[in-house]
Amino acid sequence: MKRDAVRAGLAALLLVPLIAAGCSFDGGAGGGNGDGYPTKGIEYVVPFAPGGGVDLVARAVSEYASKEWGVPVNVVNKTGGGGAVGAEYALKQAKKDGYTVLADNVSSTSMLVSGMKQPPVTLEDRQLTSRIVLDPIAFAVKADAPWKDMKEFTEWVKAHPDQLTWTSVGPAGTSAFGVADWLSAVGVDFSKTRMVATTGAADSLPKVAGGHATLAVHTVAEVYPLASAGKVKILGVQAEERSPYLPNVPTLKELGIEGVNVKWWTGLTVPKGAPDAVVKKWESTLQKMVKDPAFLEKMKTLHMEVSYQDAQTFTGFVLDEAKYYTELAEARGMRK
Amino acid sequence: METLGLLLSGFAEALTWPNLLVVALGALVGTLVGVLPGLGPTSAIAILLPLTTVLPPTQGIIMLAGIYYGAMYGGSTTAILLNIPGEVSSVPTCLDGYPLARQGRGGAALGVAAVGSFVAGSLAVVGLVLFAPFLADQAIKFGPPEYFALMVMALTVIVNLAGSSLLKALTMGVFGYLLSLVGIGPSSGMPRMNVDNSAWTGGFELVSLIIGLFAITEVLKGLEEKKTAIVSAKIKSVYPSRADLKQSFKPMLRGGVLGFFMGLLPGCSPAVSTFLSYDLEKRVSKHPEKFGQGAIEGVAAPESANNATSSAGFIPLLALGIPASPPLAILLGGLMIYGLAPGPTLFAQHGEFVWTVIASMFIGNAMLLVLNLPLVRMWAKLTQVPYGILAPIILLLSVIGAYSVRASLFDVTVAVVFGGLGWLFHKFRWPVIPFVLCFILGPLLEQSLIQSMAMSAGSPWIFFQRPISLTLMILSVLLLFFAWRLKRRTERRVVQEVGEDVDLHEH
Repeated sequence: MKRDAVRAGLAALLLVPLIAAGCSFDGGAGGGNGDGYPTKGIEYVVPFAPGGGVDLVARAVSEYASKEWGVPVNVVNKTGGGGAVGAEYALKQAKKDGYTVLADNVSSTSMLVSGMKQPPVTLEDRQLTSRIVLDPIAFAVKADAPWKDMKEFTEWVKAHPDQLTWTSVGPAGTSAFGVADWLSAVGVDFSKTRMVATTGAADSLPKVAGGHATLAVHTVAEVYPLASAGKVKILGVQAEERSPYLPNVPTLKELGIEGVNVKWWTGLTVPKGAPDAVVKKWESTLQKMVKDPAFLEKMKTLHMEVSYQDAQTFTGFVLDEAKYYTELAEARGMRK
Repeated sequence: METLGLLLSGFAEALTWPNLLVVALGALVGTLVGVLPGLGPTSAIAILLPLTTVLPPTQGIIMLAGIYYGAMYGGSTTAILLNIPGEVSSVPTCLDGYPLARQGRGGAALGVAAVGSFVAGSLAVVGLVLFAPFLADQAIKFGPPEYFALMVMALTVIVNLAGSSLLKALTMGVFGYLLSLVGIGPSSGMPRMNVDNSAWTGGFELVSLIIGLFAITEVLKGLEEKKTAIVSAKIKSVYPSRADLKQSFKPMLRGGVLGFFMGLLPGCSPAVSTFLSYDLEKRVSKHPEKFGQGAIEGVAAPESANNATSSAGFIPLLALGIPASPPLAILLGGLMIYGLAPGPTLFAQHGEFVWTVIASMFIGNAMLLVLNLPLVRMWAKLTQVPYGILAPIILLLSVIGAYSVRASLFDVTVAVVFGGLGWLFHKFRWPVIPFVLCFILGPLLEQSLIQSMAMSAGSPWIFFQRPISLTLMILSVLLLFFAWRLKRRTERRVVQEVGEDVDLHEH
């Protein structure tokens, strides 16, 4: 008797967390024309690791939408392949009924299709619904580096292109496009500089702070913690206006560097072929969300800038961007 | 002195009932999650992150932190009792923990693991209190060439863990390395060896390989042996004896110190510190031949190193906002959600929060000990559960564990295939430890090599021009030499004692 009780207790103990884990993965099957959407849980695929920029915005969106609609919107991280694995799952493998949606960003869209001649997912596979956040790109160097701003740094790079090392997750990563865009704008031979391949901002920024690489190009939200810790110095941001979080850092334009266009953004995408009602529903909900004080406060704590675009404007924006990057990538030999 | 005052006020805050409750809950959930193969701290924290919208910041973070180090501790339980590492970092714990369990001394091994985790975890938190900003600055100086040299040093462990044939071990190592290459190449950003399959493009997930090679293989072995239970004899004593603790004390300290320094280095897998500390113990031991046969030091050292590593990981996290491992990256996400941007400003602006979290880590470590020592009796009984009941549960947990890491069915298939392979490896005595080690080290080695070459414009001299990497390189050569000598000596001793050549690292 006693042994049976022990066994039952053990089994119960082992099963509790499993049930808890199992509950967070519902949603999936179903379909129709999208009337009354959503009637059940939605799987919100984030193709990047938890804790990153895309993930944090997606979690804020999921919280808002779950409350607004009264159905669970569950963030599921499907990582790998620089965002391609999760994107392929959400756009091509899952049902196109609106119950699987994708947290998209610049590197899983424009940069993916311009960096690869045969990308696993294309722009035609997706229906962009809304852009949510646009985070400016910041150029950061070691805290005690000799340059005051991007102007001085650019002069140095013009004189010593072969001494410039910069970090990126790969030759088609956001940082690589940022560097290529800047160097072509100031007329420096991109191929003379060297890329130090890293696994992301958390890997790259300490390398720059420690002096192992010269330059890191990341979003303001990513650079902010180490910059405020005094370990890296931000020489300039690539944006129309100064970042509200870095009021003392000039934009590249202010410093006389024109023609740099790289931007980091994240938005929400559904598979091409999903019902129209689904797109409309997300569009109207997200439009409301970006005015919600609680959501805005959250973005502020993340040091991110809200910049909404509806489906039509957003699609045009991404198509233009992809064209721009493809030309840039081809000219620099980055397209493979 | 000022630090001490701040810490004490942190304790005052952490010792309030609601805070104590969330620490206990975090440590308990963490232990349970750690026990389940595959469901590691990363998935647990990710699943529970939405809780942060309900709890106030301090409670949210101390609970997530509790889950983190609780899971690091819990990973050892199944490693010792069932030969199934709950986490990658518990793989070295299997080597001696499982033989101990089969001798009916599983309880002693678990007890030593609990005490070691407590001692090393507390030591690491002391280090965190005293030197956090200083150490974080030092960690940044560790650049790609230093990482490369460190990984080379970790590779020398293979010789020591090779088992009966160095050739077989190296072959398995190469196999592990090749498999780690599948996916996106770090410098090209292009898929490689992906057989035109999108699942392969994502690469193989270490956790599913471990689940296959250990958990599923173990079930297959049990079926083959018609095992009735892991321990059929009566369990002698559930708790470690005074002699066990005395024997383990120095390994705990050595493992703790080694683990602490490794934990400061972002991106360095905790498995590297546990393997290195196991290796270190075997080297300094007076009876290396007992390792792999149930040496209690072989459990004490890696378990201590493991907990010290996870606690030390909070130093770069809190001081600079650099997450040293995937679970800490999610914890960083949690901090960001609360608007608590890490860095020196965090200490200055939210001092009360930081010191409460640090104090809660002391309390959490103590709680893990209190929670786990009584549980040891229950866990130890697990080894007497009829295998007919245990085996299906292990298989079920394996499938869920493999799936949960990336929510991918491909990973489940991989786990099952490697379960079968693992059984064949066991049958024909091909050691799996070098396979796992090279799979872990391969990408780290490649990444740091490529980074170093980019820094030096292709000159390999960079590894010998920087003092830290040069020292590590020289150390690697020395270690290789001593490992070879130790292996010869150990083999001779085993032959003398047993009178025959036995497989040293069979499991």
